[in-house]
Amino acid sequence: MGSSSSSLSHIPDGQQLMGETGFSAAHLLRLHERFELLDKDSRGHLRPEDFEEIRELTENPVGGRIIGAFFPPEKETLDFPSFVRILAHFRPTGKNRSRDRTQPEPANSRTGKLKFAFKLYDQDRDGKISRDELLQVLRAMLGLQVTEEQLQSIAERAIQEADLNSDGAISFDEFKKSLEKVDIEHKMSIRFLK
Amino acid sequence: MAGLGSGTSPRLAGFVSLSLLVFVAVISASPDNVDGANETLRRPSGDSLEDSHHHPRNSTEHRKAFPVLAFNYEHVSKPFVISLWILLALLMKLGFHLIPRVSHVVPESCLLIFVGLLVGGVIKAMNQTPPVLDTKLFFLYLLPPIILDAGYFLPIRAFTENMGTILVFAVVGTLWNAFFIGGMMFAVCQIEAAQVGHVDLLSCLLFGSIISAVDPVAVLAVFEEIHINELLHILVFGESLLNDAVTVVLYHLFEEFAHEGTVTVGDALLGVVSFFVVSVGGIMVGVIFGILGAFTSRFTSHSRVIEPLFVFLYSYMAYLSAEVFHLSGIMSLIACGVIMRPYVEANISHKSYTTIKYFLKMWSSVSETLIFIFLGVSTVEGPHNWNWIFVIFTLILCLLSRVLGVVGLTFIINKFRIIKLTKKDQFIVAYGGLRGAIAFSLGFLLTDTEKKDMFLTAIITVIFFTVFVQGMTIRPLVELLAVKKKKESKASINEEIHTQFLDHLLTGIEDICGHYGHHHWKDKLNRFNKTYVKKWLIAGDRSTEPQLISFYNKMEMKEAMMLVESGSAAKLPSLASTASLQNAQQRAPPKQRAIPSISKTREQEIRKMLRANLQKTRQRLRSYSRHDLFSDPFEDNMSEIRFRKQRVQMERRVGRHTLIFKMETAVLLSLQSSEHKVYTYDESESPRDGAAPETSPDSVSLLSESSQRPGQSSRMKKRGDAEQGARAPDNQEEQQKLSRCFSDPGPKEEEEGEG
Repeated sequence: MGSSSSSLSHIPDGQQLMGETGFSAAHLLRLHERFELLDKDSRGHLRPEDFEEIRELTENPVGGRIIGAFFPPEKETLDFPSFVRILAHFRPTGKNRSRDRTQPEPANSRTGKLKFAFKLYDQDRDGKISRDELLQVLRAMLGLQVTEEQLQSIAERAIQEADLNSDGAISFDEFKKSLEKVDIEHKMSIRFLK
Repeated sequence: MAGLGSGTSPRLAGFVSLSLLVFVAVISASPDNVDGANETLRRPSGDSLEDSHHHPRNSTEHRKAFPVLAFNYEHVSKPFVISLWILLALLMKLGFHLIPRVSHVVPESCLLIFVGLLVGGVIKAMNQTPPVLDTKLFFLYLLPPIILDAGYFLPIRAFTENMGTILVFAVVGTLWNAFFIGGMMFAVCQIEAAQVGHVDLLSCLLFGSIISAVDPVAVLAVFEEIHINELLHILVFGESLLNDAVTVVLYHLFEEFAHEGTVTVGDALLGVVSFFVVSVGGIMVGVIFGILGAFTSRFTSHSRVIEPLFVFLYSYMAYLSAEVFHLSGIMSLIACGVIMRPYVEANISHKSYTTIKYFLKMWSSVSETLIFIFLGVSTVEGPHNWNWIFVIFTLILCLLSRVLGVVGLTFIINKFRIIKLTKKDQFIVAYGGLRGAIAFSLGFLLTDTEKKDMFLTAIITVIFFTVFVQGMTIRPLVELLAVKKKKESKASINEEIHTQFLDHLLTGIEDICGHYGHHHWKDKLNRFNKTYVKKWLIAGDRSTEPQLISFYNKMEMKEAMMLVESGSAAKLPSLASTASLQNAQQRAPPKQRAIPSISKTREQEIRKMLRANLQKTRQRLRSYSRHDLFSDPFEDNMSEIRFRKQRVQMERRVGRHTLIFKMETAVLLSLQSSEHKVYTYDESESPRDGAAPETSPDSVSLLSESSQRPGQSSRMKKRGDAEQGARAPDNQEEQQKLSRCFSDPGPKEEEEGEG
């Protein structure tokens, strides 16, 4: 695994990316290989169609949202640093080294991971998961197997449970609170990226 | 035994039960010796009817008066004794909880062993032979219920997430323990002073393999009381279950060769192969029986009563079949329970599910109690061969090897884990390595009497040490080290939704990274399960029900039942409790507490009507369908409750006390309409004029909101008859679904063909 800095030179801003995301050089190389694999036309950047080539992703109920997370509304292309930055959310959380408050929250901390998941729910980016957004997610996950009524009831109940300030939508803090018993650090980490 | 916590009566009860236990123990012991005498006594007497049946010639010999009362104990002695033992063991268990101080400090298992010791001592003092923990009894009757209970309710998610760690601990850890203890004991035996030079290496290894295994019964007994966090619990417990395969292989291997005297490389290799055969074979046997059980449960919709039996019998058969081939019975049982459960639960009725749950808990509780008591009795019985050096060294080596094993393995495992095991975790895992009755029974099975006694003594000492010392001190240690406890969490629909969402998300990310990880395979398994397996093993259209829906339904049903129970349990509190809830929420001044101007008689009338209608609807139970649950409130009791609940919750926020009446009005409205009557309640029965006009639009809007199923005619019931006609064809199939859900085998629902 030649992870010397010479092979890292393939990757623009390799060192900076490493520092920013916490990936090791070996990981960055692996991700770069994958990036180049997905980038079939060797354009140097990815487009949504490249993601749609991944068969399993199209079968995935939230596949569309995931692709959407990589491509924010303004951008049509995805370069390698952005690719890595998003995947950095899924790095396993390390030990809590004391960091000063001034540094931004690392992407792979619990809050960082939850923020990423929250963004996938909150498509209109207003900072809240409204009932409709929740319904859309449920519809995507449960498909045609359930009736509209059931979806409505589930969504209604979910909001009732989580909504503490009774504004009819789930804010990020309420989202965090409803998941406090779930081991997010474990659940939202991929070992490959260790 | 009606002691309600007062000082003297628990002690009295305890004393009484103890003396009864001793009494029965004596009785049980005596027939073994006195049977011979009874035989001779029986022939000449010919008094009882039984004897006249067995010895017909006696009745002709001399004519006696017809015996009005006779005493024939031998006829029922065996079941009588067994029942008495079980009964008194359970009474002891009851008794412990009446003595509050003791049950906090000492775990139940210790108390039971102690009782067993006492009983054994008493029996011995009377020179009788106490019943011993027979190996066959233990392995065939006492152990399976406990394992099945554990396996059926195994938390699958936690188990599979930590499977790697558990396997490493179970296999490598047990091997390490066995060889370390065996080898070091052999070294110890070489010490001249011990006078145990006759124990050869293979016997030592055999001994090591017996004593190295962590015992699931002891672990369950102790860990259940300390409520430790799920990760640690599943690690220790999973290890204790999976190490059975290793134990079986090692035991048989060394036992064979202890006779031979030498082990060749070929034999060692065969041993390794045997390990794989034993474990994988055991699992496969379990899977086969699990699938059979699931398949059978698909067809039980007409015989609900025997459903639980299928679960129990298939599992037991899995265990016994595995034991036939010397495969790992425990792993077979676990695999059977795990495989069977999701499909069986989708097929069986709610009552059967409850039955299975409680029977399993009951049997495992009885088994556990009996095991510990018998352990105590067998200890007293002996035979013992106490050898100071052997025993002390065994104890020290057990602890040492456990600690070394856990620390060493954790060091390696942590390189592969996402969530590392901390030192505290390691300590608990090491400390939780309790030995128990399995070790004892395996030791009992040994045939070589010379070393057997010595081994047994050492085994019993280790068991006692782990159960008493470690069992008693683990709770304060857990407190001291501030180990994370089990979080009591209510089932939350949010958690379920988000967890599933995250599953999909992670699968997607793994696909993007091109990494075939944990989530990828889980997703593949789920897909396979959904497309093929569920179709075969789950009856009806539940086979296509997504997991989220089942979860949601279960939750709703649970809450509905709770609300029904709390609501109909008492007359007034249903009103007062919601009132007090509101008050607690709002801290409203007392002026709102007064029940507004409604006469007592009026209230009674309302309540009577309400109850009568609720009862009727419950009995009718027609046209219930899981899919209609949320869209057809007029036919569905549960939906009523849900509405009540929702209204109550909403009103907590708004804080209007009066809404209780609105709520009940709404309920009654819908109930009445379900009987296809015209609205009459509104005008005549409303408690206050002010409330009435508000009530109807509210309730109407509420009810119509959720009944917007386009395909079905569930509009507001002013057009009751039209509804009735439309619903009739649905009834037949819905009744089927209904009967499955509520499991009332009664014919009532078919007869009430109102709609």
